[in-house]
Amino acid sequence: MKGTGKEVTIVMVEDDEGHARLIEKNVRRAGVNNEIIPFTDGNSALDFVLGKDRTGETSKNSYLLILLDLNLPDMSGIDILAKIKSNPHTKRLPVVILTTTDDEGEIQRCYDLGANVYITKPVEYDSFANAIRQLGLFFSVMQIP
Amino acid sequence: MFSTRSSFARSTLIMISIGGLILLGIVGSTIWLVQQSRHYFDEVVSARAIRSGSTDLLSTLQDAETGQRGYLLSQEDNFLEPYKSALESLSARRDTLRRSVTGRQSYEKDFPRLDQLITQRLDDLNHTVDLAMEGKAAEAIAITRRGAGEQTMSGIREILNNYMVASEIDLQAALDEQSEALATLQRATIIGAGAIVLVLAGALSVIYQHIRDLSRARSEVETLNASLEERVNERTEDLIRANQEIQRFAYIVTHDLRAPLVNIMGFTSELETSLNAIQPYVLSEGEILSEDEIKLARVAAEEDLPEAITFIRSSTKKMDGLINAILKISRDGRRQLKPEPIDLRELLETSAASIQHQVADLDGSIEIGGRMPKITTDKLSLEQIFGNLFDNAVKYASPDRPLHIEVHARPQGPRFIRVEVSDNGRGIAEEDLERIFELFRRSGQQDKPGEGIGLAHVRSLTRNLGGDITVQSEIGKGSTFVLRLPSDLTKVAGV
Repeated sequence: MKGTGKEVTIVMVEDDEGHARLIEKNVRRAGVNNEIIPFTDGNSALDFVLGKDRTGETSKNSYLLILLDLNLPDMSGIDILAKIKSNPHTKRLPVVILTTTDDEGEIQRCYDLGANVYITKPVEYDSFANAIRQLGLFFSVMQIP
Repeated sequence: MFSTRSSFARSTLIMISIGGLILLGIVGSTIWLVQQSRHYFDEVVSARAIRSGSTDLLSTLQDAETGQRGYLLSQEDNFLEPYKSALESLSARRDTLRRSVTGRQSYEKDFPRLDQLITQRLDDLNHTVDLAMEGKAAEAIAITRRGAGEQTMSGIREILNNYMVASEIDLQAALDEQSEALATLQRATIIGAGAIVLVLAGALSVIYQHIRDLSRARSEVETLNASLEERVNERTEDLIRANQEIQRFAYIVTHDLRAPLVNIMGFTSELETSLNAIQPYVLSEGEILSEDEIKLARVAAEEDLPEAITFIRSSTKKMDGLINAILKISRDGRRQLKPEPIDLRELLETSAASIQHQVADLDGSIEIGGRMPKITTDKLSLEQIFGNLFDNAVKYASPDRPLHIEVHARPQGPRFIRVEVSDNGRGIAEEDLERIFELFRRSGQQDKPGEGIGLAHVRSLTRNLGGDITVQSEIGKGSTFVLRLPSDLTKVAGV
């Protein structure tokens, strides 16, 4: 996965360390070797993406892909999505929602807010691993702005 | 309402009956008095008839006597004329008097003697006149002179005089009684009229009261209607909120239970993968393994297996914790509430005392202010609510300033009280104000241990008491938790 001539960093916001580990394993198995930076809560993830001042200046020239879980301990993933998509510097960063919820309303809301992909984590591991691997394959051909 | 109506009907009926009875009494007494007065009138008439009859009879007798004497002295026929006419009218007047006294005991008893005396006197007169007519005038005069006739006449006069005197007395008495009866009639009429006026006034006041009661009841019904609508809206809102909460709860529970399940299943599969890597190494039985195979097996044994086991263990533990938390909330929801009058100040002071040590460590202070309203509710629930709120205030105190907690309470409307628990802690972001009450959700910096249960528990406890809890907060300044509780739990329907 490449940005215009630069390596893309994957920002993984996932409160469950087990999930984070499983996602990483399966993304790697798909041959994606980009750097993955994990965050277990929303605030630290936002600190990284939008900066402590939340202006988004820090990400002006970085190539990020955000893997976002909706259920976080300190804030809702939807709030994070809204903040990223409403910031002029980060609004074009691809955001992949990867969560356990398959609530219709929730999915619609995420796309309304500008989510690029919404994937429900299957409980069954084979499907889970398969979904993540396909996501990884998708990443490998994706062009990031 | 019903009692008012029946008592109104009863008192109106009583009033009408009393009025009717009074009217009947007046009519009855009038009829009786009229009869009475007719009787007195008859009495007057008959007394008058007796008096005039007696007078007439006496004067006729005297006329006859005068005529007889004139004739005896003059022997002229023109003196006989008045005598004869007197005799003629005498019999009629005698009959008139007889009729008048008939039926009147005091007069009737003397009448036969009067009758006999009159007859005797007439016989005397006729005898002397006859003698004079035969030319024996001297003899006749002699008889007259002897005075036998005079005796008879004085007897007649006496009886007739008695009649006149007695009839005069009777007349006076009858007149007196009649005027007495009239006075009585007047009195009765006046009293009756007064009574009717009183009854009327009573009836009017009853009707007036009834109308006033009716209009009051109507306005009461109107206000009740209005407040009923308000209460229905309130309840509907409560129901909608409760329903949303249940949905949210179900959503959270399924998500939060599913998350560790994904881990368990995932790492079980990873375990299997690792096992596949280890198996050739363990089961090689002397076969030569490739570098890769050995490396894979070592990595699996060293990293993958322990990692998978750690995650599976932590996930099952997490699931257990979640299930226990849900159980706890569900148990609290089912616990039988025991409403009792509570001294809110005492309860708050006890709760404050239990965190005094931690507050002192933070150089903090707790202020329980003002007058506390009365409340009847479940004590244990209230203790848990304030205990949790105070614990949170301590836990999320701002490191920049000494902690200050304030509690104020006041009545809110007739049925609720409002308790505000304020702190100057780190505060809560606006978008998280609702989230903090959700199960397993927390907000802000995750630098304190916690499971996200406390406030969810507080909210479910508060709602069990028929109240609600909300929060106002400004990040970095502090938070105010606002409790709205029914002032009397026993009056809350459905608890």
